[in-house]
Amino acid sequence: MKPAIQLHSVTKIFDMIREKQTSLKSAILSFRHARPQKLVAIKELSFTIDHGETVAIIGRNGSGKSTLLRIIGRVYKPTGGSVEVDGRMSTMLDLGAGFHPELTGRENIFFNAAVMGLGTAQVRDKIDQIIDFSELNDFIDTPVKTYSAGMLMRLGFAVAVETDPDILLIDEVLAVGDAAFQEKCYKRIDAFKAAGKTIVFVTHDLEAARAVASRTIWFDKGEVRADGDTQATVKAYLDCRL
Amino acid sequence: MIDELRELAKYKNLLMQLVLRDLKVRYKNSALGFFWSLANPLVQVATITVVVKYVMRLDIPNYSAYLLGGYLPWMFFQYALLDSSQVILLHRDLLRKVYFPRELLPLSVVVANLIHFILALVVFFAYLLFYYIFLHGSPILPTVLWLPVLVGLQFLLLVGLTFVVSALNVFYEDTKYILTVLMNVMFYLTPVMYVSELVYTRLPEAHRTLLFKLYLLSPLNMLTEAYRKTMLPAFHGGVRGEQIQSLPLDYGMLAICAIVCVLVAVGGYAFFNARKWVFAERV
Repeated sequence: MKPAIQLHSVTKIFDMIREKQTSLKSAILSFRHARPQKLVAIKELSFTIDHGETVAIIGRNGSGKSTLLRIIGRVYKPTGGSVEVDGRMSTMLDLGAGFHPELTGRENIFFNAAVMGLGTAQVRDKIDQIIDFSELNDFIDTPVKTYSAGMLMRLGFAVAVETDPDILLIDEVLAVGDAAFQEKCYKRIDAFKAAGKTIVFVTHDLEAARAVASRTIWFDKGEVRADGDTQATVKAYLDCRL
Repeated sequence: MIDELRELAKYKNLLMQLVLRDLKVRYKNSALGFFWSLANPLVQVATITVVVKYVMRLDIPNYSAYLLGGYLPWMFFQYALLDSSQVILLHRDLLRKVYFPRELLPLSVVVANLIHFILALVVFFAYLLFYYIFLHGSPILPTVLWLPVLVGLQFLLLVGLTFVVSALNVFYEDTKYILTVLMNVMFYLTPVMYVSELVYTRLPEAHRTLLFKLYLLSPLNMLTEAYRKTMLPAFHGGVRGEQIQSLPLDYGMLAICAIVCVLVAVGGYAFFNARKWVFAERV
């Protein structure tokens, strides 16, 4: 069987935009001199994630974790190398990205699921499940602008997980929500894992990594510092910081 | 490009959702909703009618109908382009977070504006039916059947142009300012508040036919005139004692216009595709 995610010597180089170089004037002025500075965010990275794995990506701020997640999620095109993904991906969205404050929870679910690539009929089939999981039945027809941060997170997680993707990408959002709902999320993730689905998430919360991830990748300055069993990787990460 | 189109087809539900969201959000907190998108052109048209008819003394029977026939397509053109200049920045959070075919964003802008245009056309038609058929007993013009073709061509033209504008604005935010200025200029250069016959009579007599064909090479000029000539009867009018005759629709130039619109759409798409995966890094 093909692995869920395969990276083949992926490199990502950004053109550093020093001051916001989005005006015609600066483009003309800097036409000949001043080539943009390059920032190597990911260097020659190769790894494989199998179906059914739950992988946490940890690392300091600016280490390239989110860039990595975006490369996997096809938001960024790698500068070099290639990414192969097997199965349908979905990304957990937050306010700003996937939710419009003026629209109701239900309307936002339809939009959000469409972003994940679902058709209208598929969303209709799943809408009750999504609402049930989010526990927002009483608020589902009120505009999202009245929701609390925790409610939004619940809705985002519910759409991402109940639209039944093969691979779920999460960027630093599991920390929100009360203990009971967090417990429910962890349970849902376990069921997800048991069904042979794959989860990749970026986090600063080492407890979250310990709680759900079987494998953890410690990412530092665009390179993998450690990759393997969560307990061992987290320990190495903590030892290095001390 | 074929692969891109195939991928696009998979996401047609997202296109629908983007359009729906645009329409819902636009009218969410206004009591009169869609009425406002009709009120704006009606007020404009009333004002221009007074100025052109009574101050400039352009005398065309039922001038407002000819004005509206050009003004409604112009609004479609203007709003689609202006909206598209902002559409990528407006969805920056979504772009930075998740994969989807980027071309859906400018496309959704054109489709949302197309819906407004069609609704406005329906109201316009009700008026035409009342005025020409009911009040004057004129026959229904068979050329009206061209309308879907014209709308289709304008759609293609706008798709191509919005691809270019939306992509350019990511790299140079001057685009939207330049566009606003251009729109003001274009409004007067396009035969919206006057008819192209006036331009025709002002061209030097020796090369009149050729120059007028060049004038119609601009798809916007051609389409504006085509809308008018297919929806409204030929007119005999005048301006300050000078006679103006309506010219027949130049089908040869319309065919060329069709080719231009297709080329603009394909070219715009290629331009957009070459840049669309950098948007997430730049917005």
